[in-house]
Amino acid sequence: MSRPSPSPIYTLRGAGGPLNTLHFSCQGEGTPLLFSGSGKGAIHIWNLNSRRAEKIIEAHSGNSVIWVSTLQSADALISQGRDMQVCWWDVSEGRSELVESVRTGSVGYCQCSLVEMSPANYLLAYAGEQTEEIKIIELPSKTAVCTLVPEEKLGMVMCLKLWQPDSGSGPLLLAGYENGSVLLWDVTQRSKLSQVKAHPEPVMCLTFDTTSLRGVSGSSEKTLSSWRLDGQSNLQLQDCVTLVNPGVSQLCIRMDRKLLASAGWDHRIRVFGWKKLRPLAVLQYHTDMVLSVAFSDHRDPRQRVLAAGSKDQRISLWSVYNEGTDTG
Amino acid sequence: MESLTTNTDVRLTVTRCFRTLKSSTDSSDIITALRTLHSYLDEGPDSTATSAERAEFRRAHYSSALQLLVSNIQADWLHQLTAAQRAELWDGLFLAGPPEQALLVLMDAIGELRWVVLGKFLQRGRLAELLWSYCLEAAPSDSPQLRETLLGRISALPDITANKLQLNNRALFRPQQYYPLLATEMLTALEHTCQALRAGTDCNLTFVAQTLGKVCIQGHGGLVLAVMAPRLSACTRSDMVWQRVCWKLLENVPQRWMESVLTGLVQAVSGPDALGRIIGNLVLTNKKAQFVITHKLLLLQYKYETRVLRIILGYLAADRDRRPLLIQVLRSVSQAWANSSAVKHTPLEQQLYVSKALLLSVSLYTDRLNSSLSELLQCMLGGMQTHLDSNVVRIRHMGMVIGEYLSSRMDINGTKLKFEYDQDEETRELLSLLAPGASDGPQETAETAESAQNASQTTSGAQALKTDPDSDLDSDDELTPYDMSGDQEISKASPPRYLRDCLEILISSEDPVRVELSLKAAESLVRKNSFAAREISVQMSKVLLHMDDKYNINGFLYLRQATMVALTVTDCIPVAHYLTTEFYSLNYSLRQRLDILEVLALAAQELSKPVTEKKAASISSATTAESTPYPGDNPVHWQQVVEKRIQSKTKRLTKVLPATPNRYAPNICLIHDTFLLVTTWYWAAAQMGCALLDFVWAVRYHADQYVRGVLFAVCSVFLSMPSQNLLVDISDQLFETRSWLADVAEGDPDADCRSLAVQSLVLLDKSLKKQLQDPQAPTVET
Repeated sequence: MSRPSPSPIYTLRGAGGPLNTLHFSCQGEGTPLLFSGSGKGAIHIWNLNSRRAEKIIEAHSGNSVIWVSTLQSADALISQGRDMQVCWWDVSEGRSELVESVRTGSVGYCQCSLVEMSPANYLLAYAGEQTEEIKIIELPSKTAVCTLVPEEKLGMVMCLKLWQPDSGSGPLLLAGYENGSVLLWDVTQRSKLSQVKAHPEPVMCLTFDTTSLRGVSGSSEKTLSSWRLDGQSNLQLQDCVTLVNPGVSQLCIRMDRKLLASAGWDHRIRVFGWKKLRPLAVLQYHTDMVLSVAFSDHRDPRQRVLAAGSKDQRISLWSVYNEGTDTG
Repeated sequence: MESLTTNTDVRLTVTRCFRTLKSSTDSSDIITALRTLHSYLDEGPDSTATSAERAEFRRAHYSSALQLLVSNIQADWLHQLTAAQRAELWDGLFLAGPPEQALLVLMDAIGELRWVVLGKFLQRGRLAELLWSYCLEAAPSDSPQLRETLLGRISALPDITANKLQLNNRALFRPQQYYPLLATEMLTALEHTCQALRAGTDCNLTFVAQTLGKVCIQGHGGLVLAVMAPRLSACTRSDMVWQRVCWKLLENVPQRWMESVLTGLVQAVSGPDALGRIIGNLVLTNKKAQFVITHKLLLLQYKYETRVLRIILGYLAADRDRRPLLIQVLRSVSQAWANSSAVKHTPLEQQLYVSKALLLSVSLYTDRLNSSLSELLQCMLGGMQTHLDSNVVRIRHMGMVIGEYLSSRMDINGTKLKFEYDQDEETRELLSLLAPGASDGPQETAETAESAQNASQTTSGAQALKTDPDSDLDSDDELTPYDMSGDQEISKASPPRYLRDCLEILISSEDPVRVELSLKAAESLVRKNSFAAREISVQMSKVLLHMDDKYNINGFLYLRQATMVALTVTDCIPVAHYLTTEFYSLNYSLRQRLDILEVLALAAQELSKPVTEKKAASISSATTAESTPYPGDNPVHWQQVVEKRIQSKTKRLTKVLPATPNRYAPNICLIHDTFLLVTTWYWAAAQMGCALLDFVWAVRYHADQYVRGVLFAVCSVFLSMPSQNLLVDISDQLFETRSWLADVAEGDPDADCRSLAVQSLVLLDKSLKKQLQDPQAPTVET
């Protein structure tokens, strides 16, 4: 007899808008924090010990916040809004000051992707003003690195994932497009390495495991499509998982590379084993589309929680498959 | 003359020893006597007995000496011996002498004897010694009876020990341990034979072959050959002597046991090459073997895996001498495949098996198919037609796959057949057979790598290696999934809230989703709001009765029935009246009439449930009423119904029962309703039963198992109805039906039909028995 589906360990209310994005910062010595970006332009910083919003930053002049992240420590916060701005905030010692902002010019919903190249030196990839254009800039200097435009018509850029491979070559970028294609770009060469048609519908989200070089993408239809990168930097489609209801907003792989979570338009969060994409759990709590999922980055694996933000203005926190606490 | 005196001397000495053993109480005397007996068995250089004396003792006195020891097992002196002495003198006598005699004595006495001796006997390789002694023809006094007995004992040792020792039986004597041991002993004997042959000594393998045959016919071939086949396959790889020994061994297997040895062997070997090395050209020399390999395993039996087919056909194809047999097999298999009667009357599994055999034999037939082209073409065309004519999808698919392949192989003016069929597991499996050597390739290479000596160890090692990396990667499996049954599709439309909307949708909507939702919501809507239900009860019943499952809705029949039951219960008289009237009118299908009966029966059951219990339960469970969807479990509704009935019927009933105003009196009315319904139902059931049986009678030997299967289901439905008047109304048909069912249960090629027939028979017998035991029972249980 299988165990009954779990319930959330806690829910965070009061965000006052749909929760487009979530970001954990639990690695440092300080209080574990969860950042959330709402559809009403507010960035909440939740204290996971007290489970209260520690601070609320009103950003992007009331426009929807579609992406938040932190730079290394939780002191510098970076956020992207529908007002076509990417903002850099200093949130150390209780401040909330706008340090820099970059205009992206993109009207889409494509979330940025950030990668640390060397200490205090970052690359940021974002969708540009033109339909298929991806721009990459260096932070904090804001110098443009390159602009990547595919030769053929692929539609809008939907999602991005920038990473630095272990092999030591230049950073690589995965991008999902409106026509369902996933492209692999070499940032230093400014060239397309591989292309694969992962979905018949727009790619809504993708995530990539840089260790096993496998990734998975979701779309507005019922399938999750997984693909891998072979030795020649070619993307190869692997198996698909069929979901019960269509539409995936976001995908996230847990740090230990055991779990994959998906945020479903059907109000449900699905948990899969990452190795074989075996369905493990369907978490039901929300009453509207789930827009974001994130696994916390606690050093202690037992504390790692799963957070999901929904259009119903709530964040649910779940504890699934944490050794010692849950697997028995 | 000299031998005579030797014999007398030996006899005297032995008799003296026997007397001592029987009567003496002095342990030193006993020990001396035992040592004397031992000296006759001792073959070392310091032996005191001459070889003539030893031979005489072995021939004439050994068995009796052992029997004497066994019969004196309770003697005091045995207990005075130390453990070491006992092991040396007592056990030693059993282990040193001629093994066949020792084995017979031990097996006879296993009940009284310490099992240890037999255990030691087996563990010290005495069985190999025994077998080897028969290879050398050195076994004395070899009467056929003795041989027979010995064979019986060796091959059935686990059974004998189990019977004698019962609960004290030892693991060593269990089949799982004994037969592999026997197999290694046989291998040892064969190895001795090989060495002897190299040294120029003649050997005779008859006894070993008989042992092998007997063990196999007794059903232990799997255990024995699992040990022997890999080893023989490895040994014969490069060694011609071993090959000759194997061939000789199989030639010597008696005809009556040949089949079981061969069937065991083809399942145990790893590939066609191994089989060829072990049995050589046995199929050409031995008629029985030829029949088994080319006919029985391919056409008469069909329980074997595809691997076995591949091995058999590969074996036939591998050698030039055996090739004609492959052609013969190809011909007979293709005829069997094309036989229209076989397509109709043999089980699907067998047809699949034959199809596989056909595909494999054609694919192995590497020469051009010119010689037998016209014949094959004929067969193919006929077979294709019969297969495509069948109305079983699987058979049609088989025909298509094989037709495509045969036409591509025959190269008829460059034309090829091409069918459009959905790939399923079966067609894929058939097609995968055409990839050459796909399944036995890796095993063969693994076998080449391993050395002859530790064959079995390496295979297990290789398997362990194979699984290791997997188990590392399998980290998904350590995570147990949660219950995911709640993960249902979300539908966009919402279910109707009002009964009239629901009815409207059921009547006119063309949207499958809305119809499904309405149907799902209908029952609870009816039960929740009995006032509204009463207004449209008859109309809704009409709609539901005529409703078809246009959109293939999940659980359609159940949902429809539940709603109709709810309607009948809510508004009993008009709906029941409507349904019973409709039952007799024209233009209804059997299904619809059955539905009417079922609905009436279920409603009657629900109405007749004791109301007192319901009322009591309703109070406690009223809160959960909303969430229980099951019909008849809705206490709120029940309360309402009963209250209503109390109010509406009180007047009339008080007229009938004026003296005692009874709170539950209206239930009599309910029961009366029920009674009427049930009588109608019973009466109708008998009528329906008759009609059904008549109908079944007409098509009972229909060639198509689908039709036969459906009839059984109909028959079961009929039988599961209460059938107290079964015997009265339709007795003559009943017994014919019964014998027909028995016939089908025994002989129908389709497994489903058989099981359905058995089920129907059981039902029929049960109701008949009930009726016959209690013929006076009232026909309606009121």
